[in-house]
Amino acid sequence: MGRPVAIIGTGQTKHGNRRDVSYPELVREAVKAAFEDSGITPKDIDGVVSGTMPSMMEGIGMTQFYLGDAMAAVGKPILKTETCGSTGMSIAHTAYYWVCSGEADMVLAVGHEKMREGESQAVMSSCFDPFYQKYFTSGAPGIFAMQCQDWATRYNIPEEKVRDAAALLSVINRDNALDNPYAHIKRKVTVEDVKKSPIISYPIRLLDVCPNSDGTCAVIFASEEKAKKIGTKAAWVKGVAYRGEEYNFGDGDKVEWQSAIQCAKQAYEQAGITHPRKELDLVEIYNPFTFQELLIFECFGFSERGKACDDILNGFYNRDGELPCDRSGGVLCTNPIGAAGLIRVAEAAMQVTGKAQDRQVEGARLALSHALGGVMQFNGLMILGSEL
Amino acid sequence: MTTRVGIVEVAQSVGSESKDNLYEEIYKISKEVLDKAGLSIRDVDTAVSASSDIFTGISCANAYYWDSTAAFLKNGSRQDGESLFSFYYAAMRIMTGHYNTALVVGICRGSEHPETDSLTTLFGDPFSQRPLGLCETVVAAFQMRLYMERYGITEEQCAKVAVKNLGNALRNPYAHRKRRYTVEDILNSQRIADPLTAKQCAPKSDGIVAVLLASEEKTKRLTKKPVWFKGFGCSMDTFSIGDKDLLGGSLRDAASRAYKKADISDPKKEIDLAEVCEPYAFQELLWCEHLGLCDEGEGGKLIDSGRTQIDGDIPVNPSGGVLANNPYISRGLQRLVEVVLQLKGQAGERQVENKMKTAIAHGTTGFAGHCHAVAILGV
Repeated sequence: MGRPVAIIGTGQTKHGNRRDVSYPELVREAVKAAFEDSGITPKDIDGVVSGTMPSMMEGIGMTQFYLGDAMAAVGKPILKTETCGSTGMSIAHTAYYWVCSGEADMVLAVGHEKMREGESQAVMSSCFDPFYQKYFTSGAPGIFAMQCQDWATRYNIPEEKVRDAAALLSVINRDNALDNPYAHIKRKVTVEDVKKSPIISYPIRLLDVCPNSDGTCAVIFASEEKAKKIGTKAAWVKGVAYRGEEYNFGDGDKVEWQSAIQCAKQAYEQAGITHPRKELDLVEIYNPFTFQELLIFECFGFSERGKACDDILNGFYNRDGELPCDRSGGVLCTNPIGAAGLIRVAEAAMQVTGKAQDRQVEGARLALSHALGGVMQFNGLMILGSEL
Repeated sequence: MTTRVGIVEVAQSVGSESKDNLYEEIYKISKEVLDKAGLSIRDVDTAVSASSDIFTGISCANAYYWDSTAAFLKNGSRQDGESLFSFYYAAMRIMTGHYNTALVVGICRGSEHPETDSLTTLFGDPFSQRPLGLCETVVAAFQMRLYMERYGITEEQCAKVAVKNLGNALRNPYAHRKRRYTVEDILNSQRIADPLTAKQCAPKSDGIVAVLLASEEKTKRLTKKPVWFKGFGCSMDTFSIGDKDLLGGSLRDAASRAYKKADISDPKKEIDLAEVCEPYAFQELLWCEHLGLCDEGEGGKLIDSGRTQIDGDIPVNPSGGVLANNPYISRGLQRLVEVVLQLKGQAGERQVENKMKTAIAHGTTGFAGHCHAVAILGV
């Protein structure tokens, strides 16, 4: 439906602790890279989509104003999309719908965050309602830990097995990040290192958790006509889906996680995918916590229920496995929140266009990118292919 | 290829403080708009809301109210800032053909957020603008002074806007502030930031505003009085106050984009009604110029002529505008709701009697109109 939409260029900052630049400078770095990658200029852009985590993160309201000049958005139509952790994906969706609707031919999507200027866990605690939930939570890890325990108990997975699989997943992601020039945390670790790292919120340990990063990602979306005229290799949007569920943490089942399951169902239908485990060439999962990624593998149908640990331990998700996951190192190694979802899209686009350099998955033609957010409420997907 | 987008129904809360909590009130207004169309939550294909975390006081506020906007297990999104963006985004979603119906909800509660300017000051960068004490009202005062000096607009002409709008609001049951004032009343109210006086500045109000959109075919089935989306334009200015002409701005860009989409070549003749976002009285005059409803520098003459009165030939803000009702984030969408009611002939005592075909809803946020959105609707 609508008209086909392509990604014709991506740009990222070197993510991490970027005290060397101001917030607008950080944004400029990625936007400039996206224009260089696509070979177009800001003049060609019909609209800009900007997005970040809550304003409390950097202490600036309506960041699109402050960053407008850096995004080359002055005098342009602009939309500001913000949906918590899934912001980066929702920005990509906004850009997609803008082009697909025919209201714009070329749209620049920019996700940005300078987390190291704020106190992220304090900000995250303010996502919970001020009457009940806020007093029970301290940042994000608590609810993710509960989700993990619920999942392991439901499927009777031995604690040690879950621990080994999550630790191995951490190692896989961290090894992957070593090949990614943009990644924040680049450190070789062993399964033992993960298992011995300090506890954050049981069973989650320090090396199961993402960092706080400064970073920006910019992605340029174009209509079929424009993409063909420009002539660079494009990634084509095959499926776009998003689902949100109830706010009260105790009200929803986060194991049979409906927002994730139904979101994947819609995206697969659009992309004509019936066997995601076989048909997808790689996945970029939004994985701030190792344990949660295991559960997501199951909700998205890559692994059977209760079997994600076995798949991980058998090498299914390794870089040379049947379904490489987060070849970029994922959110686990790089987490500028407002950009993190869009980085998943950008990495998937780079893979299917053969631009992923040292982290290229050979012959990648169909890739899934994902982001989640809210109080474990939102899941969004974008599936990209190498052919129209 | 793309479908026409129709506005099926609208609903809004009153501007004064509600006894319901935010969650309940959003639910009520969302349900009201669906009830009017005879639809249930199942019939909503996608939901796009507008809110801002610094105004809501909850980070990721869309997470908090998600269920109450008919979005449960639906595909949806949220716009931060100007609520007319959420209208445009929802319209786009329908144009793609992926969705047949979309619920748009604008959310802001003045009764719960701090003084508006203690929040607008956060728009400024922390290094130079914020330490200077810049906020929306202070910058608006600069803009008003410049406007009067450059074009010879008088304080009396600016005050007339407040007289007109707060008077119009007497007929609007949703308006927050309303009264019959004289120009002297307005000018003699407290000086807030010279030359602005208190009654020329908008209050802070509650506003939950819902709009139901549908594809052409669906719209025709759901309502006998459809209003159609004709065009939209938005634009953003450069950041630094000192770098720009405060009377230049980006509204001309936004308007010309919207007119082009709506195929309007002479707005003076073709626009029958405008709901303009005027948090400061003089801005109605300035924005009318930038919207092309009168010539440059002629805003003062426009208000003097009486043409923008409710019984004039180009009524502006028959609802009472933002001066009467200022839910900061949802005020743009509220302008659109009024336009829809007027075009449908459902505006009650404030109904404009002229025969109307095309009308404008305008929204703005930021210092001196940093960012503008213009929606054109028609019957």
